[in-house]
Amino acid sequence: MKKHECDVLLIGGGITAAQMASRLVQKKPGLRVTIVEAGRRFFNFDERAARRERWLAYGENPWSHDFIEDQSAEGIISRSMAVGGSAMHWGGVTNRFSEEDTRLHSRFGLATDWPIEWAELERYYCDAERQLGVSGEPSPIAEEKRSAPYPMPPMLLSHNLKVLKAWADKSGLPFGSTPQAKNTREYDGRGVCKRCNTCEICPTGARYSPDFTFERLLEAKKIELHDETQIRKLVMHDTKDHIIRAEAVNRKTDEPITYEAGTFIVTSGYAWSSHLLLLSANTRFPDGLANGSGLVGRYMTGHSFSSAFIELDASLFPGMNEQHSLISRQFFRAPAGKPYVRHDLRVWESAYSKGPRLKNDAGEVLFGDAVMNDWRGRTKRSVARVRAYYDVHPDRDSRLTLDPAKKNRFGDPLPKIEHRLDAATVARRGSTLTHIHGVFETLARADNGKILSSSESNYLDHPGGGCRMGTDPKVSVVDSYGLTHDHPNLWVVGSPTLPTGGCTNGTLTFVALTLRSAERLAAKL
Amino acid sequence: MNRRTWFETVAAIAGVLHFGRVRAWAQTASFPLGQTVPLRAIGEAVLPESLGEEGRARVVTDFTVWLRDWKEGVDRDHGYGFTRIVRTDSSPAGHYVAQIEALDALAMTRGGSFAKATIADRRAILNEVISNAKIEALPGRPNGGHIATDLMSFFFESSEANDLCYRAAIGKDTCRGLPGSDERPEALSSETFR
Repeated sequence: MKKHECDVLLIGGGITAAQMASRLVQKKPGLRVTIVEAGRRFFNFDERAARRERWLAYGENPWSHDFIEDQSAEGIISRSMAVGGSAMHWGGVTNRFSEEDTRLHSRFGLATDWPIEWAELERYYCDAERQLGVSGEPSPIAEEKRSAPYPMPPMLLSHNLKVLKAWADKSGLPFGSTPQAKNTREYDGRGVCKRCNTCEICPTGARYSPDFTFERLLEAKKIELHDETQIRKLVMHDTKDHIIRAEAVNRKTDEPITYEAGTFIVTSGYAWSSHLLLLSANTRFPDGLANGSGLVGRYMTGHSFSSAFIELDASLFPGMNEQHSLISRQFFRAPAGKPYVRHDLRVWESAYSKGPRLKNDAGEVLFGDAVMNDWRGRTKRSVARVRAYYDVHPDRDSRLTLDPAKKNRFGDPLPKIEHRLDAATVARRGSTLTHIHGVFETLARADNGKILSSSESNYLDHPGGGCRMGTDPKVSVVDSYGLTHDHPNLWVVGSPTLPTGGCTNGTLTFVALTLRSAERLAAKL
Repeated sequence: MNRRTWFETVAAIAGVLHFGRVRAWAQTASFPLGQTVPLRAIGEAVLPESLGEEGRARVVTDFTVWLRDWKEGVDRDHGYGFTRIVRTDSSPAGHYVAQIEALDALAMTRGGSFAKATIADRRAILNEVISNAKIEALPGRPNGGHIATDLMSFFFESSEANDLCYRAAIGKDTCRGLPGSDERPEALSSETFR
């Protein structure tokens, strides 16, 4: 059997692995770091403009074959199974959580506290912003102090967003430019955003994606990257709690491979991290590795969201920069004496209900200039899209389990994820939505607006959890750095470690925690 | 035999012999061979008059290029949590020859070919056909529902149409750079549209 040895094995090749590997080799030159990823690599920057064109013209997946068909499982599971993971096609939004996220239990009697001080996390937020290259502007909210400025000035507000800001400001809520991992000047060897409106596939490289980090590390021969190679199981020492090897298979040849390392880091995202630990059950850990607490695969988290389209008296030109938005962080804090609710608030330009149509209100089919005139006539007023990600907390039975009914081509059971919210979250849902809809109404009233439609999420976005961090091994899987309580050389890093999912995009938080873990591990090696 | 003649021959033989799948393939591969005139006639009826004759002809040509470059069986875009793979269908063009023939047949009952009918008569025919096909809205992209609504979708969902609607150089599908984006987009010159 083929065998590979290294000092540190990273299992899963997404943004967490990229940042972990980068920081480890920076801190420990000469460290032998290998990354194993089940999916393929997309180091095809030169093709992106052409792929973008096909995506726009035909709706083709710009990351064609970023999926492993026999790994299709039940629940909210990312389709991106490739080097770089979901961050290959993310929107680049890099909002921070707030201190409240880390003190939910002590301040509000809800969920659990995070085992980390905000001031320390904040420093790693700054670190993560430098690593990803974030453009942003300081929050106008006094509580949101920064220890370092954003690496780049904020994205220019488009004409549309300037108009929308003037509207939104009338509501009395403070709005600003949403921070993003997109270059507003040349940064880290990558160019400036060209406002292509297609951040899902950025043809200029202005939006950060992990392939840039991997390529740089590979070129400098600082890491090894084994793509299309799937880790199927971690194996423990016979008598000690150490992990001694990972058993893998090359998906191209079906050839088995054994990886031996001093340190194993699971960087497989929220679904596949818990999954691997559960798959690796043995006689001493019959419920899965690192699962002395019985919590691997539990407390699967994320956030819910509420959306609306608001028609208003404003002159917008849809398409100027649909990928950029305004954000208000006014409601990241929950005042005492009121029903608990925390959420972000985003505003985008939109063409909702303002597009060309085949039939007019009378049901008559339109042709030629009549289509254009009908369309133009309906654009006298404009539309804003608004959305609030709101804080919800997972129940213990919000779970990832092994699904005996579905197996991959190697016969391994696939994960099944069923999110479930805790009783307190369910009980306050009505008051949460009443509050958020009230905010939408306040915005609408600010400029003769009218809510055209609203909708509620039916899934949890930016999911995390399954290996939550904590200080007590009885109620958590890993410590605040991601080191498992049960195994001295097994770490889980990134989104799976989040006890709760916050009320805004999670990627910056995943990266901040990863950098903190990397510093800790590097100090120990 | 050159490529064009070969496709025409295959399409003709398949049509005579009613080899449905072969015929559809040949028609897809060869479209719009032999259908240029009716396709332009449809374009004249459904695309904005304000584009002018040349503008409408250009859109029709662009549409045929789009059809030519269609790829079947390619995985389509997906979102978070959407693990089911959806692939592109066969080209919409496979439906078009029969639809054009049906337009002509209907036109013949009214005294002549579709292409020779007046714009008003063509629109009356298309109105009837679209209503009978129960097409209620323009598709996001051409989907074979009907060649007329597909051509309309191709144009009206474009960046160019968006600019014309707003009479402004928005350029939503182009990489435009950040400088100046905080200003109202430049108005299109009045010559751009009538």
